[in-house]
Amino acid sequence: MNCLEFRGVAGADPRHLGADAIAHGDSCRQCAAHLRQLLAMDATILRALKVPVPPERKAGDLSPRASVVPAAVFANPRRWYALAASILGGVLVGVVLWTSGPRNALARDVLGHIAHEPEALVATRVPANSAKVQEILGKAGVRLRSDMGLVSYAMSCSFRGHDVPHLVVQTSGGPVTVLVLRDEHVKRPMKFHEGKFVGTIEPEGPGSIAVIGGSDTQVKETTARVAAALEFYPLSR
Amino acid sequence: MNAPFAGKDGETAFAQLCEGLRPDLFRFAFWLARDRDVAEDVVQEALLRAWRSRAAVEDAATARPWLLTIVRREHARLYERKRFETVQVDELVSNESPELAVAEEREVLDMRRAIFALSDDYREPLVMQVLMGCSTAEIATQLGLTQGAVLTRLFRARQRLRRDLGVTGSAEDEES
Repeated sequence: MNCLEFRGVAGADPRHLGADAIAHGDSCRQCAAHLRQLLAMDATILRALKVPVPPERKAGDLSPRASVVPAAVFANPRRWYALAASILGGVLVGVVLWTSGPRNALARDVLGHIAHEPEALVATRVPANSAKVQEILGKAGVRLRSDMGLVSYAMSCSFRGHDVPHLVVQTSGGPVTVLVLRDEHVKRPMKFHEGKFVGTIEPEGPGSIAVIGGSDTQVKETTARVAAALEFYPLSR
Repeated sequence: MNAPFAGKDGETAFAQLCEGLRPDLFRFAFWLARDRDVAEDVVQEALLRAWRSRAAVEDAATARPWLLTIVRREHARLYERKRFETVQVDELVSNESPELAVAEEREVLDMRRAIFALSDDYREPLVMQVLMGCSTAEIATQLGLTQGAVLTRLFRARQRLRRDLGVTGSAEDEES
């Protein structure tokens, strides 16, 4: 290796030199000095690249699940305020239902579940993987027979001892949460409206679906679309 | 299938991983976008996306490059959505001057400004190598380039920085 080759190699990656480059550096005083200069410059580059990072926003006081939610989710003030409002809204609804509402345990549990999954309440236009959506619905013995809109979030969640599909459908008015409750039976639609949340639990298939959003219109439209889209089939257990 | 980030334990592990990587992911996004607010949005969206898909990661060792890829894609997606107007580097420097000025030493401040002014083609591989610790092969994979092309860009990036900072040669060179 000659000096020109050495400087080409060292200039591209001064910290990872091959054996031949190291040998040349050991035998050439000028190239050794050049390498020292490059390494010093790289140290300065690293310090320069380490710009200050915005502080993390912890949500531990608000949600017991916050500790397992990526901290960066809470790093942006706009998103943070929206999430905090959602969480507080959910908690408030839960408290109101518990203390002064119709004391419906199912509605309370639905709201409690939503409050614990703040990452699902994000307005986005990014769809969830459609194969995953179908897989999650399939576990509950449900298939899609028509489009229910942009589904941005799909998880199989433990709810009252059963794994239930937890979906978020994005609407023009914001995200609407849907829980497919195959094992929860209600005789008639059960609506609740507290704080910023509007919700309904309606008979569907062998069980019910819970739909929670920010307005009557949102919930009504989404409920109709979801009910039309879901097809329950027998599930062997 | 091995899924280190599936289930409750996986959630915790993934959250810890994200917490540890978030500073460098933010810095990476900042140097991609050269805008603090955009970087915050990019990292936030990238981590949300990663969070949703964490169960698909089959090997914990691939999580870091996987997150890096998501940040890059989210940055590209944000640019597609917003279609930022082209701005002059001087304007960017001016907009981010408080950020760029947060340095203890003049040497670091000057370097920060010089990196800020590098073209994307040179800045991104340099950031990936020096800040993120990526190998030449990893950078080549991320950028869709040959390793030779990556090495050329890295060489030219350092050459440009040396020129912009007025570094003419080593002491030994000057002596000789």
